Amino acid sequence: MWRRSPSLLLALACGVTAALAAQAPNADSAAISNAIRTRPGDSLGRLAVPEAAGRPAEVVTARDNEELVKAIEHKIRCTCGCNLDVFTCRTTDFTCSTSPAMHRMVLARLGSGMTEAQVLASFQQQYGEMIFMAPPRHGFNWVAYLMPYVGLAVGLGLVGAVARRWFRATPKAAPTAPGAAADASPEELERLKRELERFEA
Amino acid sequence: MTDIGNVALWITFFVALWASVVGFLAGRTHRPELARSAERSIFVMWGLLVIAAVALMRALLTHDFNVEYVAAYTSRNLPVFYTWSAFYAGQKGSLLLWALVVSTFGSVALLVNRGKYRELTPYVAGTIAIVVVFFVATMVFASNPFERLGFTPPDGRGLNPQLQNPGMVFHPPMLYLGYTSISVPFAFAVAALLSGRLDTGWLHAIRRWTLVSWLFLSCGIVLGMWWAYVELGWGGYWAWDPVENASFLPWLTMTAFLHSVMIQEKRGMLKKWNIGLVVLSFLLSIFGTFLTRSGVISSVHSFSQSNVGWFFLVFLVLAAVLGFGLLAWRWPMLQAEVKLESLVSREGSFLFNNLILIVIAFSVFWGTLFPVISEALRGTKVTVGPPFFNLVNVPLGLMLLLLTGIGPLIAWRRASPENLRRQFLWPVTALLVTAASLAAIRMSDWWSVVAYALGAFVVGTVVQEFVRGTLARHRLHGEMYPLAFVRLVGRNRRRYGGYVVHLGMVMLFAAFAGLAFKRETEVTLKPGQSVDVKSPYGWTYHITHQGVSQYEQLNRYVTAATVDVLRNGKYIGTMRSEKRQHLDSLGRPTFEPSTAVAIHSDAREDLYVVFAGAVQGTEEAVYRITINPLVWWVWYGGLVLALGGLITLWPGGQGPTAASRRRAEPAGYVAQVA
Repeated sequence: MWRRSPSLLLALACGVTAALAAQAPNADSAAISNAIRTRPGDSLGRLAVPEAAGRPAEVVTARDNEELVKAIEHKIRCTCGCNLDVFTCRTTDFTCSTSPAMHRMVLARLGSGMTEAQVLASFQQQYGEMIFMAPPRHGFNWVAYLMPYVGLAVGLGLVGAVARRWFRATPKAAPTAPGAAADASPEELERLKRELERFEA
Repeated sequence: MTDIGNVALWITFFVALWASVVGFLAGRTHRPELARSAERSIFVMWGLLVIAAVALMRALLTHDFNVEYVAAYTSRNLPVFYTWSAFYAGQKGSLLLWALVVSTFGSVALLVNRGKYRELTPYVAGTIAIVVVFFVATMVFASNPFERLGFTPPDGRGLNPQLQNPGMVFHPPMLYLGYTSISVPFAFAVAALLSGRLDTGWLHAIRRWTLVSWLFLSCGIVLGMWWAYVELGWGGYWAWDPVENASFLPWLTMTAFLHSVMIQEKRGMLKKWNIGLVVLSFLLSIFGTFLTRSGVISSVHSFSQSNVGWFFLVFLVLAAVLGFGLLAWRWPMLQAEVKLESLVSREGSFLFNNLILIVIAFSVFWGTLFPVISEALRGTKVTVGPPFFNLVNVPLGLMLLLLTGIGPLIAWRRASPENLRRQFLWPVTALLVTAASLAAIRMSDWWSVVAYALGAFVVGTVVQEFVRGTLARHRLHGEMYPLAFVRLVGRNRRRYGGYVVHLGMVMLFAAFAGLAFKRETEVTLKPGQSVDVKSPYGWTYHITHQGVSQYEQLNRYVTAATVDVLRNGKYIGTMRSEKRQHLDSLGRPTFEPSTAVAIHSDAREDLYVVFAGAVQGTEEAVYRITINPLVWWVWYGGLVLALGGLITLWPGGQGPTAASRRRAEPAGYVAQVA
């Protein structure tokens, strides 16, 4: 019963004050932040209702932002069922506890001296191929990558075959007299084009 | 009222059954009294579904929690604005909306075409009625929105916080309108096939419908992207989720149809192909719904699994057999009236454009289903996510962009070398200058360079068309340039509206190419601490954490983290990202806390700040900061796309072309064409 809790009322009062402060012009908010910094004891206030802020966050380290870590985490899928990669899930779905755990696994494996390929291989060994955000390019999975282009090739072949059949059935049109179009002025060409279109169309 | 809604649904079921039987009988026997009965049944069906919809809406607004659907998707403290959207937030309500919209479109189609297409309309009524029978049967036998609980809870569960966003009020109805309006072209295609009236007349009847469907789908997709971007907080707008893909598939086939139908209207070619595309578009619209309902593929959009998926699968198979079976039956009657004279022609470029659109649709379909195929054939589960779709579709998308530029430059029938030289000179110059400029500034991503260069080519094409047309009108009629421009567009709305759509597509491609330069970082800040983030444009954002505040607002408890932002030392704003813990009317937490993103947006890039959480219950905050170049262009590209669609749709203009009317004449349609 949050509404009846005195701490909630207190938080509400603090919150409204803070919100008003945040809406104030920049000079005011800068003044507020400076004031906080001048009073070290208050610089890190506690939230009245911490659970309302979602899963407790962990302090981000420089390693969390390493490009290699991000690259690996963009390639593996969070197993919580969200369909997102580990990096996106852990930095988006703040109710998920799976992606932070997988992130720690990535850091631990890199920390143990594994290369990117070895880390990815270790995840594959653990979870199977479904751990990757795209099917690894080997064996049957090539079918996934090649089929659209096979489709394109088949389509081009069909268009070519149909066009050849049509060309055979069509008597050759008289070639356009060279230079005929060049003799016309741009407005005449435009007019001709539009008349032809109106006629044909 | 709820019971009235339930009874209305049951009556609708029987009326729709009657309409479908009578409609097809009327088409077959040519008995006008049966045709009238089928037509009236469609209107009655619509009235009954309106009653059912009003009953459900009343139950939602009056908090009748004895109705299971109301208790599952609303609560007493849910704002009215979102109580409205709860109508389609769940499966049962969305099925009712679908049935209502199909019957509305069906009724409008019959009203608009009253007295015209007499041989087609009974079949149209019958086909629309079958679609409604299916949706109503799914409701009354498997997923009834009026199902009652054995008790009345004091409050409902409430609406998922992620759905409490203005984007979700407009995005799903737009998509539903897009999906459902495809039923009308499908019904006309089935009618044309059954009646044997296969000339271009039926195309006149559906021309605007296909555009309406395409426009709704386009708006629905872009609004969905906007919702994902501002609400989900992952820093992107398209994740190649199966359900996103499902909405994209009919859009692709409809886009192909809108191009290929011009060839049939102007040259009497591609008749089989066009009917095939209409049938395919309808099937793909049902396929999208099947995906969300069946649970066959895991998706963040999925409704809870239920046996409704089987209903959709059976309907999908039956509709495919009916559509393609009829097409095969009438195959000999669908011969082209003329032959293609040259591949270097407008027809040729449209053929390739259709090919690429269908291959993209196939690659999206294939990628979406590949996990199921892999598991069935190898017993191995795989994930097919954004890396796959980007790898496969980026080259195809660029080919499409190239063809978007080429198509308008080539003449119908056969292009001469002189015509090609004259038409291509300026667009190709734009392409080369852009490519050289981007190479000179050392743009690192080559796919993006190609995308921008091709974008410049398409813009060159469109600008050239507008400029030449306006100049020609100015010289021929002595009109002032602005007047010449307005009249040019006004009198050729389909053509120039199409060019505006192409401009919108270029803006979207430019935005997609900008994703290559996205930057993301995570940081923990105590109040007063700052972080510097580099933009791909070279400037620096100086972001200072001001603090975290908590307060109650509407139906939620808010934890707001605030930062001040300076760009290259100049203050650009205060941004606030929130965690929202939604509460029910008794003040109890419902759902997990959701995130509200802070976005500072301009035409160049978005600064996207997400409050990821507080460290150990203090004001020390974790932020995810993303710099997303050119996202603005997605939303405005979508607007331009919609504007182009509206110009094309706007009543008046030239109507069906002379050649198209001539082609309709032998089938007896001409007197009936508006």
